Amino acid sequence: MAGQVMAAVAGTIAFSVLYSVPRAYYSYCGFIGGAGWFLYCLLLPVCSPSEAALFAAILVVLLSRFFAVKEKCPVTIFLISGIFPLVPGGGIYWTAYYIVTGEMELAAAKGFAAVKAAVAIVLAIVFVFQLPQKLFQMKWRESKGRKS
Amino acid sequence: MVEAEREIMEAAMEAGHILLENGAEIFRVEETINRICRHYGIESSSAFVLSNGIFLTSGNVTEEVFAKVQHIPVSGSHLNRVAAVNQLSREVEEGYYTIEEVRRRLEEIRHMPGKSAHMQILSSGIGSGAFCYLYGGELKDCMASILAGILLYIFILYISRPYLNKIVSSIAGGAVATMSCMILYMLGIGRNLDQMVIGSIIPLVPGVAFTNAIRDIADENYIAGTVRLIDALLVFFGIAMGVGLVYTVKQRLML
Repeated sequence: MAGQVMAAVAGTIAFSVLYSVPRAYYSYCGFIGGAGWFLYCLLLPVCSPSEAALFAAILVVLLSRFFAVKEKCPVTIFLISGIFPLVPGGGIYWTAYYIVTGEMELAAAKGFAAVKAAVAIVLAIVFVFQLPQKLFQMKWRESKGRKS
Repeated sequence: MVEAEREIMEAAMEAGHILLENGAEIFRVEETINRICRHYGIESSSAFVLSNGIFLTSGNVTEEVFAKVQHIPVSGSHLNRVAAVNQLSREVEEGYYTIEEVRRRLEEIRHMPGKSAHMQILSSGIGSGAFCYLYGGELKDCMASILAGILLYIFILYISRPYLNKIVSSIAGGAVATMSCMILYMLGIGRNLDQMVIGSIIPLVPGVAFTNAIRDIADENYIAGTVRLIDALLVFFGIAMGVGLVYTVKQRLML
C-alpha cells in the first residue's frame, strides 16, 4: 500500500513535469495524486471499482480546488495531473487486448468498466465544481487561524 | 485615443491566445479577456471563444469599433504559461501595470521555456514506470516500462509532433509503446507484459483534453467541450488501436 501510494505520487509528479506545471506546485500535485490513489486503494475492498473511482475523484477535485484557492492559481494545474492515476488506462489496454484475442465478452466487460470509471470521474468533476468558491476560501482562513 | 483602445484589445486578445493555446478552460479565457478590457476602460468588449479560435469585438456609441478573429490551433500544454497569465490578470486588476507593460509581460510569457527535451523524456519514463507499478507490475516490469516510456517519448518528440497528425500519432504511439515492451519482454526484461504495456501507454493518455472537455461541458460551453471530448476520445481509440495492431501482428507471426 505504501509502495503503491509512493508510485502514485511519483507518477503524478512525472506528469506534472510533462505538462510544464511550475516547479513550486510539484509537491501539491504529488500530494493530490497520492491522496486520490490512497483513498481508491482503501475503498477497493468494500465497493466496486467505479464507486471507488468516484470517491477518489471527488477527493482529488476537492483538494485541487482547495490548493488552487490557497495558491491563487488555475485549478487545472492541480487537477490534470492529480486525476491521472484514476483515468482508466488499464481499461483501454484490456479492451484492445481482448478484442484482438477474440474474447468479445471480456472485451465488452472491460470496455464498459473503463467507461464507468470515466463517468465516475466526470460526475466528480461536474458536481464538485458546483460547490461555491467561497466554501474553499473560508476553509483556508479557518485552518490558517487554527495553525497560527 | 483610438490607438490606445486598439492596444488594449490587442493585449486582451494576446492573453486569451496564450491561455487557449496552452490548455486553459473556455470560461477562464473569456473571463481574462473581459477583465483586461474592463480594467483599462473598454466597456463594450465581447469575446466568443471556441476550442480553436477567439472572436473579439468592441464598439458602441462612444467607443471605437474593433473586431478581430484569431485561429488558434491547440499546441502543447504548457501549464506554467496558463498560471503566469492568470497571475498577470490578477495583478492587472490590482492596478500594477500600464498597458505597455502588460504587452511586454505577455510577450515574455509567450516565450517562457517549457521543460527541456531531456526532462520530458525522463519524466515520461518515470511516469510509465510508476504507473506500471500501480497496475500491479513487479520492479523488473517497471524497469522495462521506464525504458519503453523513454523510447515512446523520443518517438513522440522527434517523429509524431513534427510529422504526424493526431490520429496517426496516437495509433503509432500505442504501437511503439507495445512493441518496445514486447521486445524487452522477449529479451527477458520484465515478466508481466500486460502491466508493462499499460504503464508505457499512459504518457499518451490525453489528460488535458479529457479534463477540459468535461469542465467546458459542465460550464455549458457545449461546442468547445464537444470538440475537446472528440479530441480526447480519438486519442483513446487510437491508443487502443495501436496496441491491438501490434498484438494482431504478433498473433499472426506466431501461427
